[in-house]
Amino acid sequence: MEAILDQLLNIGELLLQNGAEISRVEETVSRMGLAYGASEMHVFVITYSIVVTMRLADGTCLTQTRRIGHPAGTDYFRLEACNALSRRCSRAPLPLEELQSEVERIREQPRSRLRIYGGSMLAVGSFTLFFGGGPADMLVSMVFAAVTCLLQEYLMPVCMNRVIFNLICALLIGLGTCGCVLLWPALQLDKIMIGYIMLLIPGLAITNSIRDILVGNTISGALLLTESLLWAGALASGFMLAIWITGV
Amino acid sequence: MGNTGIQLLTALTGSLGFALVFRLRARLLPWAALGGCLCWGSYLLLSSLAGGSFFPCLLASAAAELYAEILARLLRAPSTLFYIPAVIPLVPGGTLFHAMSAVVRNDWAAASAYGTATGIAALAIAMGMSLIWALVFMLREVSRRMAARKNGR
Repeated sequence: MEAILDQLLNIGELLLQNGAEISRVEETVSRMGLAYGASEMHVFVITYSIVVTMRLADGTCLTQTRRIGHPAGTDYFRLEACNALSRRCSRAPLPLEELQSEVERIREQPRSRLRIYGGSMLAVGSFTLFFGGGPADMLVSMVFAAVTCLLQEYLMPVCMNRVIFNLICALLIGLGTCGCVLLWPALQLDKIMIGYIMLLIPGLAITNSIRDILVGNTISGALLLTESLLWAGALASGFMLAIWITGV
Repeated sequence: MGNTGIQLLTALTGSLGFALVFRLRARLLPWAALGGCLCWGSYLLLSSLAGGSFFPCLLASAAAELYAEILARLLRAPSTLFYIPAVIPLVPGGTLFHAMSAVVRNDWAAASAYGTATGIAALAIAMGMSLIWALVFMLREVSRRMAARKNGR
């Protein structure tokens, strides 16, 4: 049973790190525990930790906690796979080895680089046009969207945290964009920058955090809100610094 | 009119881009993109009818969530998959940028006006979404209780 609980925590961790709401994680872990024969499940999830106590049919209790590291980013493939796995287990619990290998399989699925780069460039280019930019603005913003992806891939792992990363990343691409505008004054700085902001801004994190608070997960919501305001502040400072240095 | 067309089209491709980054299954991608277009379309329609930005934003977010809940039932996938890409065009990136650039220019009146607008938009998006979420939860509970009562007798 210990080993099964461990796998349940693995699934909870996968969900939480890949962009699931708190209530979804709690619900999924509870449902799977009950399917595996627990008579009661007590699951408490906050942004950084999962605590599960499982009361078995013979009255003994099992408790495990898991510290959750930094979020890996939103990944709907993993969310859907975990969701499908939990539904399958609620109908007919899988044997431990099979559950283990399924969890492993979901975790190991590689993300395609082409989709991340292509998707980011498409999103940033679209929003530059959306906010009123022209075709030239769109091209510049798409180039820097690819640079942002490169930074996310190589700079993020050596940064202390998201705040520092956002600051450096915003400063670098801000300087690059201001440089382009100085060389070619017909470009509209604001439209280009709004394009990246849509990609980098933790707007969704802020929205999610307010939703968490409104549905009653106040601690997690407040944590996420504080974090995302810090991220947004770092982002803004980076861009501001770039504008101030170049004087555009 | 041409402007509206460009906005709707880029809302579509922008949502598609985000869905790609979030690794949505290929079969669901068109639905996510359509959601962005519908969400922005309903915002434009509501703001031209009612004016202001708080209620149009709230109702457009509610519309996106409703769309996501319906698709989730039809396509058997979690509703978040459709809601998040759909609501992206509402995210207040523009006002945040203007607030920032006002700070650089030392224009505090503009900075606080744009900053407030950013906060209000975030609040409106979350409230619109929660409204539909609460309704769906209520309907599900009611139907579950009615089914339980029927089975009990």
